[in-house]
Amino acid sequence: MLPVAFYLAFVIVPTLNSLFFSLTDWAGYGSSFNFIGLGNFKKIFTDRLFMNAIKNTALWLALAMLVPTLGGLALAVALQGKQLVNTIYKSVFYLPICLSPIIVGIIWTWVYNPKLGIVNLVLQAVGLGHLATAWLANPNTALIAVFVAWAWQQMGLNMVIFLAGLTSVPVSLVEAAHVDGANYWQALTRVIIPMLLPASVVVLALTAINALKSFEVIWATTKGGPFNRSDTLAVFMYSESFRKYKMGYGSAVAVILFLMTLIIIVLYFRQMATMEDLYD
Amino acid sequence: MTSATVRAHHHPARLSRIAGTLLLFLILTTAAIIFILPVYGIVVTSLKSVADVSTGGYWNLPPNPTLDNYMRVLDPEGGNLIQFLWNSLKLTIPASIISISLGILAGYGLAKYSFPGNGTLFVFLVAGMFLPPQIALIPVFRMMNQLGLYDTLWSVILVHSAFGIPICTLVMRNFFQTVPDALREAAFIDGANEYQIFGIIMLPLTLPALAVLATLQFTWIWNDFLWPFILTQHESSRTIMVGIMNLTGQYTVDWGGQAAASLVGSLPTLFIFIFFQRYFIRGLTLGAVKG
Repeated sequence: MLPVAFYLAFVIVPTLNSLFFSLTDWAGYGSSFNFIGLGNFKKIFTDRLFMNAIKNTALWLALAMLVPTLGGLALAVALQGKQLVNTIYKSVFYLPICLSPIIVGIIWTWVYNPKLGIVNLVLQAVGLGHLATAWLANPNTALIAVFVAWAWQQMGLNMVIFLAGLTSVPVSLVEAAHVDGANYWQALTRVIIPMLLPASVVVLALTAINALKSFEVIWATTKGGPFNRSDTLAVFMYSESFRKYKMGYGSAVAVILFLMTLIIIVLYFRQMATMEDLYD
Repeated sequence: MTSATVRAHHHPARLSRIAGTLLLFLILTTAAIIFILPVYGIVVTSLKSVADVSTGGYWNLPPNPTLDNYMRVLDPEGGNLIQFLWNSLKLTIPASIISISLGILAGYGLAKYSFPGNGTLFVFLVAGMFLPPQIALIPVFRMMNQLGLYDTLWSVILVHSAFGIPICTLVMRNFFQTVPDALREAAFIDGANEYQIFGIIMLPLTLPALAVLATLQFTWIWNDFLWPFILTQHESSRTIMVGIMNLTGQYTVDWGGQAAASLVGSLPTLFIFIFFQRYFIRGLTLGAVKG
């Protein structure tokens, strides 16, 4: 079985290898390293920068669970029809999906540019000039600003999944609700949204996994700065491993990131299993 | 409820519904404009000279449209993007083909042969889709160094081929499951062997699924930054996304150049988006929603 062998060699074995390296003090070059047991993990929880990255990741994850998910849902519900207008609008909201996250980062660096960026220009134009700031360089706004750029892309993806979920809602059911006197809002909240439960689980799980591993948008905008204020686990893992050459330590960070993802995957598969029982 | 009461019931609602539709349209239009504005910004900026950017900013239409920015970033003496585009192509096409081929093999095996552990193997292969790349970063980096493949496109090709297996296997297995077994059996009776069935009957049927996977894999591998960033170093093996990222470090004030570079780097995936959107979107949902 060639595919299985390939998959084992380049996906599974490296994953297990990371677990191994997380127990060493390998520096990234040469072949010498010492086995230091759980030393890296002990160190991690007293590392101020690691705790900072955890805090940023938690905030990032919490925002990710709300903003691009509800936004994607709202867009999908609003644009589910097949009319030409809807098709055009859908294309607009899909568009960011096909861009590289690196490009997304570069584009938004201009959006946030302190002097020429559209955000500050608009704020000044509507008389809110005092709110204008260097969004990516201001420690208080950097993380949120980068998050918005990331969500800009993730929202389109979520809309796609919700739209696919909406096709499984029988039209007759919605019509029946209308005949029974339900208005648009009632049909939406009592019939359509409950039917979107499976799609919502997929969206939440995928968004959470994407949020945890997102690196490129942050790298292209702030590289984790200023003062590590937008440093998430994915960025922290990279800089510890490939800039400071603490590969053993970096592996330990990767393992923690992996465990967080694993929790989401397990929850996701369990939820999918219960729902299959429910619908079969 | 008679039809008269239905009409009576709906009549006052109609006005508010029209108002609602209008409001929705307004909100959507505003949202769409905000959404597209950043993209509009890079398009107009890429067509402006440095002087025009500094006097007029990013957001107005270019007063004297020029392709200078494109020439400069593509030029081997300038940004050298032409080389990086070529590298990305040399990476993306083989990696897409290998991952899809492996996915076809695995998907066919899982869908058409029942053997002990079939279900487990499927979950095992597909679960890799959710792995964060960070968990494999360091060991793959080390492995490629040991294999002597560090700083070659081959290292990135191998990684993307392997990391593409989960999605390709998922899509192909689900596809082959929809092909009726009777087709196989009929071919058997007509005297075809396993390889003939696979090659002559099954493979041509996979075209729609292939189109889905090709758009998906191409987009994902072309756009990837992290793997080539880790695994390559010199210009001879630099991919377009790494090249663009380097460009932003070099000339921080060359907005026109960066905008042109971003657009050039996005052209292939924009092309797919425009002409194969149907397949691409189907791929996204197939990957996300089971079955």
